[in-house]
Amino acid sequence: MAVQTDTAAVHRESPAVRWAKENLFSTWYNSLLTLIFGALFVWLGFSVIRWVFFEAEWEIVRVNLTLFMVGRFPREELARVWVSNFLIAGAIGLMAGAAAASAAAAAKEAGLPFTQSTPRNWLQRFWPILLLVVILLQFSQTWTPTVLTLVTIAIGVGARYVGLHLPRAVRRWAWLIVVVMLIGAYGALSWFGGVKWDSWGGLHLTLFVTVAGIVLAFPLGLLLALGRRSSLPLVRMLSVGYIEFIRGVPLITLLLMGIFALGFLLPPGVDPSDVTRLIVAITLFTAAYVAENVRGGLQAVPKGQTEAGQALGLSPWKVMRLIVLPQALRAVIPAMVGQFISLFKDTSLLVVVGIVELLQVSSIANNQPEFLGRGLAEVTLPFVALIYWVGSYTMSRESRRLEKKLGVGER
Amino acid sequence: MTQENVYADATRVRGDVIIELQGVDKHFGDFQALKNINLNVGKQEVIVVMGPSGSGKSTLIRCINRLEKHDAGRIVVDGVELSDDIRNIQEIRRETGMVFQQFNLFPHLTVLDNITLAPRQVRNVPKKEAEELAMRQLERVKIPEQAQKYPGQLSGGQQQRVAIARSLAMQPKVMLFDEPTSALDPEMIKEVLDAMVELAESGMTMIVVTHEMGFARAVANRVLFMADGEVVEVGTPEHIFENPDEDRTKLFLSQIL
Ligand SMILES: Nc1ncnc2c1ncn2[C@@H]1O[C@H](COP(=O)(O)OP(=O)(O)OP(=O)(O)O)[C@@H](O)[C@H]1O
Ligand SMILES: [Mg+2]
Repeated sequence: MAVQTDTAAVHRESPAVRWAKENLFSTWYNSLLTLIFGALFVWLGFSVIRWVFFEAEWEIVRVNLTLFMVGRFPREELARVWVSNFLIAGAIGLMAGAAAASAAAAAKEAGLPFTQSTPRNWLQRFWPILLLVVILLQFSQTWTPTVLTLVTIAIGVGARYVGLHLPRAVRRWAWLIVVVMLIGAYGALSWFGGVKWDSWGGLHLTLFVTVAGIVLAFPLGLLLALGRRSSLPLVRMLSVGYIEFIRGVPLITLLLMGIFALGFLLPPGVDPSDVTRLIVAITLFTAAYVAENVRGGLQAVPKGQTEAGQALGLSPWKVMRLIVLPQALRAVIPAMVGQFISLFKDTSLLVVVGIVELLQVSSIANNQPEFLGRGLAEVTLPFVALIYWVGSYTMSRESRRLEKKLGVGER
Repeated sequence: MTQENVYADATRVRGDVIIELQGVDKHFGDFQALKNINLNVGKQEVIVVMGPSGSGKSTLIRCINRLEKHDAGRIVVDGVELSDDIRNIQEIRRETGMVFQQFNLFPHLTVLDNITLAPRQVRNVPKKEAEELAMRQLERVKIPEQAQKYPGQLSGGQQQRVAIARSLAMQPKVMLFDEPTSALDPEMIKEVLDAMVELAESGMTMIVVTHEMGFARAVANRVLFMADGEVVEVGTPEHIFENPDEDRTKLFLSQIL
């Protein structure tokens, strides 16, 4: 009887109303919770909007935008930053295109459905970055950065197109082109009388340290994980000792040691710059955690996989490289990306050793005569937080996507 | 009433010996899993190994390709004695295919790549040739149309046939099977057994751990009955199934029938 009246009602209601009835107002206490939280959200949203658009004094960010982006990078050399941006955009685009092309080819050969990304799901994937870019451009007020940003994006999109249509034989070497382009990006900044990285800063330095940390820590962590499984006791002991030591020490201690304490380890006359020391410290730190992640992945690969490889006559090294590692690494992508997200966020610790990273820029800006004592950290800190959030959220989202994609061959 | 058991001596074979086990022992800690195993396998012979759970069947065949290391006695495969020398081990593994209960296909590779991996990496067969070889093996086990799929997309019976094709692609002289059908749903057992029968009839030397009596009757030259790490009894399928000499064999057969 009750069921009948329900179905009759359903016919008249729109799906949205029905959804709300089923999920938000199913019982009296559910309704109560809905009302309380609804009110809370409305109030929060209202406050945030009022603050962002009417109360917050964004002037401090507007004036210091370049400082936030590149720190104390000499202003007359800024063209170098853009050249390196172009190269990086090209490299990323090329890589993405080549990867998409191989994925499509593999799927086609396997007779599997393969959906190319459409502009719509590009928007879904990268709206935070887009939002950030729009905010930054809105602050910049001049045309040059807008035009140059558009050029950067155009280069990225163009490179992706090129990568997508590379002949197969060239595609295999795409990674080499990418590496050359990335080295070129570094060179554009510092070669030919350029700016050494000790004078880099802001978001630019944060990204650079993050990428360098990832690129260096990954292979080192992999080696440590393999070392931990080695049949040679010495190698095993060293790996375990290293991993356990590093994991027992807070990153900030390592950073301070890198700057102040470890000079005696270096041969006389060698005095690396602070940024170099910090990149090394961050790499050494992250590698230990990467090693533990990889170890987890290695343990998750069933023993039967190794045995099947051995039974076929593959050497132990080939069993590891061709059978165990690919499966292990695939299993630890989420953990690994989580690690790299921490690394990205932990670059904020560089503030304590006086590097001009984002937090440092925030405090520099607040100490400028015209902003001093006006409590504008309440503006600069949310701005910095937004930048970190955009980076972290995008990474974690992309990792989930990758995980799903790589799940194709799952048992 | 007793039929003479011509194969009662596990070391007696017709023709050339290809696998030779002499006084093989294997311990796991204090537990002795294999006790003084003596067995000769002739070329093109098919041996079925039976016995209760924990009797050492898997351990026995895993010692032959050194997935387990025996701790006393001699194992010689095709004239090469197993030793700690990794080159000896590799040589024997190249000549010895193995099919596992759990298939153990590589889930991250397509069927075709699963099969071409070892020929390319171990025997340095060029890619194209390896793929042709792989397709021939897939035709042999009657699933060439699955070449581009991933193992996870296949049924258990298909996976096990891919596993057989993968071993065959190395063109081994001996094939070892460890309960190849016991992880399969009943309706898939036949397709795998058919492939194995075909293989036996083509003259492959095989040691098969299985409780499929029909298979044993159809192609086994000898049945080896194991219990508690020992070879209890050896003989033709007829002899072992109809007139076993040992009480342990009788008891076991009464339980699985
Ligand atoms: N890696 C190992 N460590 C310790 N003991 C083991 C190991 N492998 C096997 N054993 C023991 O050795 C004995 C023989 O094992 P095996 O796997 O050879 O038996 P099986 O005849 O194949 O049995 P099943 O029919 O259950 O497969 C068992 O008692 C088992 O517990
Ligand atoms: Mg077993």
